[in-house]
Amino acid sequence: MSDAPNSDNKPANGTSKRASRMVKVWDIPTRAFHWSLVSMVFIGILTGYIAPEWWMGMHVWAGYITVTLLVFRLVWGVFGSEYARLETFAFGPMHILTHMKEIITLRPVRHYIGHNPSGAAMIFGLLIVLIIITISGLLVLGGEENQGALAGVASYAIGDMAAEVHAFFVFALMAMIVMHVGGVILEGRLTGENLVHSMITGLKKVPQGTPPLAHRRARPLYAALVTGLFFSGAALGLENLAKIPPSGLVQLPANAAYESECGDCHGVFHPSLLPIASWQGMMQSLEDHFGEDASLDDDSVNEITAYLTQFGGENWDTEASNRFAILDPAKPYSIIATPYWVRKHDEIKPEVFKRRGIGVKSNCGACHTDHYSGRFDDQKINIPEEKKK
Amino acid sequence: MNFSKTSIKTVALALVLSAFAATSAEAGPREDIIAKFQAQAEAPANPANGEQMYNATYGTGKPDTPKCTTCHGATPQQGGETRTAKLIDPMAVSKTPDRFTDAKKVDKWFRRNCTGVIGRECTAQEKVDFLTFLAGQ
Repeated sequence: MSDAPNSDNKPANGTSKRASRMVKVWDIPTRAFHWSLVSMVFIGILTGYIAPEWWMGMHVWAGYITVTLLVFRLVWGVFGSEYARLETFAFGPMHILTHMKEIITLRPVRHYIGHNPSGAAMIFGLLIVLIIITISGLLVLGGEENQGALAGVASYAIGDMAAEVHAFFVFALMAMIVMHVGGVILEGRLTGENLVHSMITGLKKVPQGTPPLAHRRARPLYAALVTGLFFSGAALGLENLAKIPPSGLVQLPANAAYESECGDCHGVFHPSLLPIASWQGMMQSLEDHFGEDASLDDDSVNEITAYLTQFGGENWDTEASNRFAILDPAKPYSIIATPYWVRKHDEIKPEVFKRRGIGVKSNCGACHTDHYSGRFDDQKINIPEEKKK
Repeated sequence: MNFSKTSIKTVALALVLSAFAATSAEAGPREDIIAKFQAQAEAPANPANGEQMYNATYGTGKPDTPKCTTCHGATPQQGGETRTAKLIDPMAVSKTPDRFTDAKKVDKWFRRNCTGVIGRECTAQEKVDFLTFLAGQ
């Protein structure tokens, strides 16, 4: 059965005495890379789409490990054993197209010991897409979340753009994974090879008549050296980047009037959470403040207005300041009416907001444990559990 | 440095006296505030009217706050909660000793809450009745 496709173009007429046999194709590092990458992509997709926001730390770690794996794989592509080397599966475009045509018409002509041309194209494609995903992810982390190596250099706008790139290429990645798995199944059907099994054991069956394989050995010492050099350089770069304070965050001095006058009735909101015009309009209409009379003496009004003008949303470049710059026109003073706020909290059931310790939607600090800093990190979200009486 | 026994005694006495002065001064502001409203009021303070105000349902102010106990505790000894889930200390002076000792705050909250609950500013008579009631709780 396994030799059947081969017999189409090269009848097994006994010209070669060599029987079909199992040979070692994938070395341990290549296999370990493959399955580690599978796990990281799985974790990345799970934490990116399904898991709640505060799992973002795990998403980021999956990304960092993916980068490590990609760097290793590229180095191993030079210093690994025969079939791990990129040169052994760098086929020309015509070669790849011909092979794809063969696969699609279900008539594979040649047997490849390492990656076949279509599979190889997929591997290069996956490597490139994963590099784009991890770099754009790092930009989102630095730009939107103000975390990670690029927190000090990436603006919110760059992070926002990178988020679209990130999302687009993750879609591409998922489509490619489907094609990759589909290709493995199809190839298995056509050639009788169990490619999944090969990626576990490292062994592949070569057809009858295959001459002895030129099998260059891995050079792990060189690989370790180059990988070590890369990560030393990266660590040095990261250390310097980490010294730059996160961009878009301003040193916010405390203001006793703001904290006591506003904080008497509700949790004190970070001044970055509304545009300056909203704060000013609100301070002019305290007699009807969300249904209550919150009027203040003129001195307090002036002092608090000045403070909010100096530190209102436009002075920041954080996720919150940018997101809440887009208001509900009917409620320009309400943070919880902004489209972004509504969208981000729409899965939280009303009874959660009624829990002791939360009470109302406007009680940011009940769940966002870092609200006083204006950062609103995803990992700092901690929704209080319902307390048993 | 070397102090004589008498000078140490003098310093100690001064400290004790100033501490005493400070505690007695703390009790002062509330009485001053009440006295100020009393001076503007037509009749002597009537705590019973203050109690009636505390428990009354007005519904003539802002729709969300028809009565004091919308936010304050059902009794002055109980704490309350604002509509934004912020806890309010009990209004009773026995429970919250620094209640009504800051004239600016007292004015601010009478202005806000009388318009919010009753729909108009409170009179000096109402204020003195209300404060005397809560000072005795």
